[in-house]
Amino acid sequence: MDTPFFELRNITKYFSKVVANKDVSFSVGKGEVLALLGENGAGKSTIMKILYGLYKADSGQIFKDGEEQKINSPKDAMALGISMIQQHFSLVPAHTVTENIILGNVKGKIDRKACEKEIGELAKNYGFDVAPDAFVRDLSVGVQQKVEILKALYLKTRLLIMDEPTAVLTPQESENLMQFVRNFTAEGNSVIFITHKLKEVMEVADRIIVMRGGEVCGDLKCSQTDEKELSRLMIGKDLVPADRGSEEQSKNGEVRLEFQNISIVEHDQVPKLKDITFDIHQGEIFGIAGVSGNGQEELCEVVCGALHPTSGKLLLDGEDITDLNIRQRIDKGIGYVPSDRYRDGMVMDMTLAENMMLKTSFGKKWLKRGFIDKAKLNGCTEKAIQDYAVKAPGPDAMARGLSGGNQQKVVLAREVENGTKLIIFDQPTRGLDLGAVDHIHKVILGERAKGKSILLISTELSEIFALSDRIAVLYKGVVQGVFDRSEIDTEKIGLLMAGYAVDKGCSNEC
Amino acid sequence: MINLLIVTVVMGTPLLYGSISEVFAERSGVMVTAIEGIFLMGAWAGFVGAYLTKSLLVGVACAIGAGVLTAALYGWITVYLKQHQVVTGTAINILAVGMCSFLQRVIFGVPVSPLTVTPLPMLPIPLLSKIPVLGPVFFNQNILTYLMYLIVPASYFLLYKTSIGLIIRSAGENPEAVDVAGINVDRVRFILVLVAGVMGGIAGAFYSIGYLGMFTTNMIGGRGWIAFAICFLGNWNPKGALAGTVVFGFTEALAISMQSSGGGFFPNELFIALPYILTIVLTITRKSFNVPAQLGVPYKKEN
Repeated sequence: MDTPFFELRNITKYFSKVVANKDVSFSVGKGEVLALLGENGAGKSTIMKILYGLYKADSGQIFKDGEEQKINSPKDAMALGISMIQQHFSLVPAHTVTENIILGNVKGKIDRKACEKEIGELAKNYGFDVAPDAFVRDLSVGVQQKVEILKALYLKTRLLIMDEPTAVLTPQESENLMQFVRNFTAEGNSVIFITHKLKEVMEVADRIIVMRGGEVCGDLKCSQTDEKELSRLMIGKDLVPADRGSEEQSKNGEVRLEFQNISIVEHDQVPKLKDITFDIHQGEIFGIAGVSGNGQEELCEVVCGALHPTSGKLLLDGEDITDLNIRQRIDKGIGYVPSDRYRDGMVMDMTLAENMMLKTSFGKKWLKRGFIDKAKLNGCTEKAIQDYAVKAPGPDAMARGLSGGNQQKVVLAREVENGTKLIIFDQPTRGLDLGAVDHIHKVILGERAKGKSILLISTELSEIFALSDRIAVLYKGVVQGVFDRSEIDTEKIGLLMAGYAVDKGCSNEC
Repeated sequence: MINLLIVTVVMGTPLLYGSISEVFAERSGVMVTAIEGIFLMGAWAGFVGAYLTKSLLVGVACAIGAGVLTAALYGWITVYLKQHQVVTGTAINILAVGMCSFLQRVIFGVPVSPLTVTPLPMLPIPLLSKIPVLGPVFFNQNILTYLMYLIVPASYFLLYKTSIGLIIRSAGENPEAVDVAGINVDRVRFILVLVAGVMGGIAGAFYSIGYLGMFTTNMIGGRGWIAFAICFLGNWNPKGALAGTVVFGFTEALAISMQSSGGGFFPNELFIALPYILTIVLTITRKSFNVPAQLGVPYKKEN
């Protein structure tokens, strides 16, 4: 057998006392696409950060072309031809594309013109449409990723590591990325990509390393395996897909939430939302697809009351709630699971019990003789912990100490309780592992069966399709049509998400 | 009038040393809130060094040394131990006042008459100093002011035209990007805090041995904070710092001239308070700020 390009041997890494990687060994060959598959917390990112020099392994060795290497910092890794694109891009928004790419890679006086020219040519060679003098803050996430890739190409990378590269992309952008990966490896370079999406693994990988609980539990050739086997290896058990239950129910339900020509236009700026009109019935899941940043957050905030539309009306059960504030809407029974639980969902330095009463803290139900009824609060929290299978020591545990999936379950528990009529789920499963995703999907479907209305926003099309009764696509603040689930497929949605009108084909932009 | 402008340049010099060093540190993500203490330690050490050795050069060296030591303490606590920058700075500023009064007493006891040194001499530059108005205002100053003339353009060039500047600016915007590029964020920040120590020390020495030729524990009197404010008001840019310094230097000069000539209708105290009032007014009225995104936030790697 050939000497592998890079080889990791018996890498073990502890974070304080918790094992992140245990005895991990695998290799990547020249020209190979290696997928690193596993749930969150399986240790995929950690092992790659060790290879890239961001973390130091407690024990183990790294070899390049059969020779042992010491990688103590990203500088060492770069010298060996390794680049890594982090899951959350490490770009400086306030700087230009060129400045981001040359950061740390040039010396002395910067010849801006020459650098911009060089990067412009590099982008052209790979067919990337990126302006070298554009500010990163003005670029879409898809283009930002191209900037990250250009950064690696600028350093003449031989091994490109990408952490969850397709998480933020439209289906078409993902396809382009996969095409790039194929071209890049055809030149004899190697790619390792970290993912938990089985579909893209099967599509592009030559070989798959499956990790679970910090250990490698499978090293398979793509041609000799299938999605089923991979998912079993990854989770350790078979997953039963969530049952959607009756299809009829939603069609018959009465209208619960009504958007009437809602727009948000600030001064002379581009509208954030434009003339949004649709309604959600009782017992219906209304899915909104779209690339993030196309008005989803504004839409949610209009419903929960954090943003007021500049024109249009919002009706709940026929009652105009446009002018109600957030608290009044909570009282009306609107629950909201925000996309960013760190920013909008929880206070990380408070306990689970305190987080549970966060949005109803003004309510009398938590009071006993003017003080917080600790016993009642703890009881409720304890029940939520049980019902939602939250892995937490108890109601007094700090939110920060929980894993992302368990934090999300706590938010979910609270909002399901608050939202007696309508619950907004904005990206409810972003960044969570399959087990947690499955659980949350079941909760959403369960609330639908109870007759609640659900506004589901997701950038994951598989999620939209798995749950929604009806689907709308949001692009630049405009609803690109409302479809029954059976009327539309991934390809059509993908085009709508990119702003193309479906019936006119790809050539005309809306 | 010319005299007023001369004093503007004199009073502006230390403010510019302070605010430019603050611009650099803050661009990398660290607010040097200990700047007042650094100024004071510089003023004190500069005076002691110059008084005991009769050498102004030794005085300036001592000032730099004291400034760097103070800054190193601040940098160690905030950059490496990741402690809160405002709290740490406040503590160090209080410590500096106590240290100076204490050591001053230990070294000199209670002198009968004020201790003085001969301040830095004016060095008229041949030919240039003969230009009407501009000559006396800009080219009949002491060595530290001349040095300042070089530092302003140099710092602008360094920050915006070199790879080092790019690293500094990136460290304040997104330290992770710097880390991923294989550069030690903490080291970058610590070095800039030390640089602020050097420049702040010089600024302090300017007050004691560059200008007055004496030392009192209240001689900085919030001027470190003014330099700190100029950095904000100047939008974290050396050019802005220069503009801010001109404004504040002029108000200080105005205050001094009114004190000696009498302000007429207005009480003297009003002019003395002018720079401080101006700071508040300008801070309130400033519209857009270009704050480095990670200013004041210690860089912690996850896990």
